[in-house]
Amino acid sequence: MRAVTFWLRWSWRDLRARWVQVAAIALIIAVGSGFYSGLSSTSAWRRSSYGASYAVTHMFDLRVSLSTGSFVPAGELTGAVLGIPHARLVTGAEPRLLGSTQVDVPVGAREVIVPATVVGLDVSAGHPTVSALATLTGRTLQPGDAGQPVAVLNRQFGDFNQLAPSGSVTVSGGHRIAYVGQGLTPEYFVVVGPDGQLETSGGYAVLFTSLETAQALLGHPGQANDLVLTLAPGADVAVVRAEIARAMAAAFPQVGYTITDPSQDYGHHQLYTAVKTTQRLYTTFAALLLAGAAFGAFNLTVRVVEAQRREIGVAMALGTPPTRIAVRPLLLGLEVAVLGAVLGVGVGLAVDALFGSVLRRYLPLPVWHTAFQPGVFLRGATLGVVLPFVAIAYPVWRAVRVAPVEAIRTAPVAAQGLGRSSVLARLRLPGNTIVQMPVRNVLRSTRRTLLTALGIAATITVLVALMGLVDSIYATIASGLRQVNRGDPGRSIVNLDRFRPVGDPAVQGIATSPAVSASSTEIQVGGTVRNAQASFPVVLTLLDFQHAIWTPEITKGVAISAGPGLVLCTKAAHDLHVGLGGTVVLHHPRREGLAAATFVDTPLPVVGISPLPTRYLVFLDASHADLLNLTGLTNVMMVNPTPGESVDTMQRSLYQLPGVASVQSPTSTIDTARKELNEVLGILRIVDIALVLLAALIAFNSTSINIDERAREQATMFAFGLPVPTVMVLAVAESVLTGLVGTLLGILAGRVVLTWMITRLLPGIIADVGLVNTLKGTTVLVALALGVLAVGVAPLFSYRRLSHMDIPSTLRVME
Amino acid sequence: MAVIELDGVTRRYTVGGGTVTALEDVSLGVDAGEFVVVLGPSGSGKTTLLNMIGALDVPTDGRIVIAGRDITGASRRALFEYRRATVGFIFQTFNLFPSLTAIENVQFGIDVARREDDGHLAAEVLAQVGLGDRLHHFTSQLSGGEQQRVAIARALATGSPVLLADEPTGELDFRTGVQILELLGRQAAQGAAVIVVTHNREISRAADRVVELSGGRVVGDGPPPGGPIALSELRW
Repeated sequence: MRAVTFWLRWSWRDLRARWVQVAAIALIIAVGSGFYSGLSSTSAWRRSSYGASYAVTHMFDLRVSLSTGSFVPAGELTGAVLGIPHARLVTGAEPRLLGSTQVDVPVGAREVIVPATVVGLDVSAGHPTVSALATLTGRTLQPGDAGQPVAVLNRQFGDFNQLAPSGSVTVSGGHRIAYVGQGLTPEYFVVVGPDGQLETSGGYAVLFTSLETAQALLGHPGQANDLVLTLAPGADVAVVRAEIARAMAAAFPQVGYTITDPSQDYGHHQLYTAVKTTQRLYTTFAALLLAGAAFGAFNLTVRVVEAQRREIGVAMALGTPPTRIAVRPLLLGLEVAVLGAVLGVGVGLAVDALFGSVLRRYLPLPVWHTAFQPGVFLRGATLGVVLPFVAIAYPVWRAVRVAPVEAIRTAPVAAQGLGRSSVLARLRLPGNTIVQMPVRNVLRSTRRTLLTALGIAATITVLVALMGLVDSIYATIASGLRQVNRGDPGRSIVNLDRFRPVGDPAVQGIATSPAVSASSTEIQVGGTVRNAQASFPVVLTLLDFQHAIWTPEITKGVAISAGPGLVLCTKAAHDLHVGLGGTVVLHHPRREGLAAATFVDTPLPVVGISPLPTRYLVFLDASHADLLNLTGLTNVMMVNPTPGESVDTMQRSLYQLPGVASVQSPTSTIDTARKELNEVLGILRIVDIALVLLAALIAFNSTSINIDERAREQATMFAFGLPVPTVMVLAVAESVLTGLVGTLLGILAGRVVLTWMITRLLPGIIADVGLVNTLKGTTVLVALALGVLAVGVAPLFSYRRLSHMDIPSTLRVME
Repeated sequence: MAVIELDGVTRRYTVGGGTVTALEDVSLGVDAGEFVVVLGPSGSGKTTLLNMIGALDVPTDGRIVIAGRDITGASRRALFEYRRATVGFIFQTFNLFPSLTAIENVQFGIDVARREDDGHLAAEVLAQVGLGDRLHHFTSQLSGGEQQRVAIARALATGSPVLLADEPTGELDFRTGVQILELLGRQAAQGAAVIVVTHNREISRAADRVVELSGGRVVGDGPPPGGPIALSELRW
């Protein structure tokens, strides 16, 4: 017991003697382990929150979706499904009607007009029971709302535009709809457009209304084009699915349809895939942060142990066993590590709160679980203790292995091993020895310089990599905007209410509108592109590459070839591992009759590559519309405004025209990309703050230890009459040089890590966007400023200590 | 004429709740060219006396005049300037700069004192102390005696009229210690006022004058008993 008290008392004195460095190392460990815990908690939150949200809204087990443009009587659709042999396994089946429209809503002093989907649901008593509507603010739909101009607006749109819980919107055709609340069904936890592509929170709306109201708005009385059903627990989904397929083929032979389960739901897939993939990203951030912190702590604890070198040597000379000698520095390391881990819990809780608010902001769900994750925090705290403790164990092990006579010698170790023949010994530098001293100290104390520089480099590496990621994200968005804004920046996309012949009066009415100076027609449908390497959903656009008012830039290959050929975006070609001339299979709708379509597979060559950053945009020349049996038809138009006409005025006048479902800016596709990246950006901004703090702590602490280690040299300089400001300038100069070395190393390494993240890590996480790999000059300058200035400024905090130094006592200090 | 004049110098320290008197009413003078040994046991105040003369510490009472300059109560800045221009230090633990070679350590002394230098002075001074062939060695590559000689060379290179040595032979063997004392004696012969602080009574036998301290007071001041002897006759 006496021995334990003795060691604890000695250790306490060690802690007090170096309290500044102890506090700094502990804070470094706290930031590293706290952020690790916070970042690692997000996947547990997501899984729990997604599961709870899908459960509370009774997500469908199977969904029958008719192909674009197909509609059948709602009762017949339900009857076909409930007529299967295993109908007893179906616990709920509800028809729905989905269609495109546009929503016009006042937001502050302006009007916002966006494309939208109307979702008609069964709102009779107790319904909907399948893929139910979760109203997050305001009230939900009630039986009395059936057939009425009443709806619930999707929460993401309302939140993005900061709309009141209830209000009114105007939809296509000038119909005014009162929205009584804001909410979402499970298929719209992630906003998905009519062709299954991701839409932006602010650029796309979803109106949930009664089936009857939707039928009236969309002009399909009594009809449905979608059905969702739930199955009894333990039901054989494959059997039910097969029976539904046979029933649909029998009841509606001319109608194309797909049957999907939750894993095939785009939003469901996106959310759960994102848990794994974004967790990989966040774990990478966390690991980088923790590695930077651990290295910084290692660097500093090495110096602390080296400062005790002589005492360790004296103990060895007195015959103390190495294991007992090691107790003191190990105890110091353990206490610092524990302090850091405890502080890390506090940091982690604060980070949890920040990350939780980021997640809620970018993904409103019926249920969010962001509870404290004790297991995750325990893991983070354990790492916070183990890593620095292991870090101090190594230098302690080295120290007790040194021969006692070496350990107790008064000649400092800094200049050992440099060699008589060292080029540095004959280095010719300008100025006198005093001016040269910082450079000589840096060059000759190689190990010390490298340790300090690497500590700084570790955090600068992470800072450059993550800030570079932000740069790359913004550069990608800018690149995409440049692509879509080629030509007239006022260009707008008009979505028609349905496929119409090119010569249709509605189409001509749009083309000849006084607000429009030029226009061209397109066909846009959803599909899938696949080969042996990959498969992903796409939006296929057929346009006249020779006469359209906008075409995608082709940087490789051609747009028009002898036979049909696809133009893919760079990311798509990369993921499919296909180049010009390579073949992919396009899974696309083919019109059957007037209002039906089936899905077919068509192998097509890749004839061109476009630098658009979004993977899901695929183009085909309109001359091959026969592949889809859509020759002479159009469902999308591109229009340019009349010179002098504002885009808003043009869009507003177009909305009044028959046949117009919505008018949107072409940047909406880029906004989609931005939406996907928003959450990552939100997390990155918080992590960047941690990195700046970490870098400053490590830089400051490294320099402060440097000052301590040079105390006797500084006292000697004072004894020879060198004034304090001069000695301070020398210390600053040496710190700046070391900081510069560390920062340059960090910038280089950070560039490598950034490239790795963009080329290896992120393609699997942000699948639909091809990131531009870039590092802005301002980021490099920030890194330089932090790494060099923070280090350079650090000695100034010791000015007072230096100017009040007890010179005689310090001259007699033995390290 | 006295280069160093101390008049009633007292130094008291407050330690804990009490006062420790390191020096009490010390008055003495040292002329140019004198080789003075300050002798006394541990705690007698001899290092404090050296620190006073070297302006590393300030007296509580009394007056100190060095080379005609009253440094008592001088500003901190003035004291730094005084040390640059007037004093060369030699420490028991050498206190060389580990990142500099032998010649660079000596050059440091020249640069601090802003001495006129044709670029060869450092090498010449090192040759004087017998290290002409070790110019580019780092301190870790030198023996204790060689390091002390570098330290002496550094102090000599400043050209200061006052040389203060605190236990310069404390870390060294007898033969090396004698060599160091020879160097210091030579400086005194060339006109410098040399003060050596030591607890080794044998060394005092080679001095021109021995000032003996005990309990912070001067208890003896005069030539060594039997007059100064040659360094070659010293034994310890």
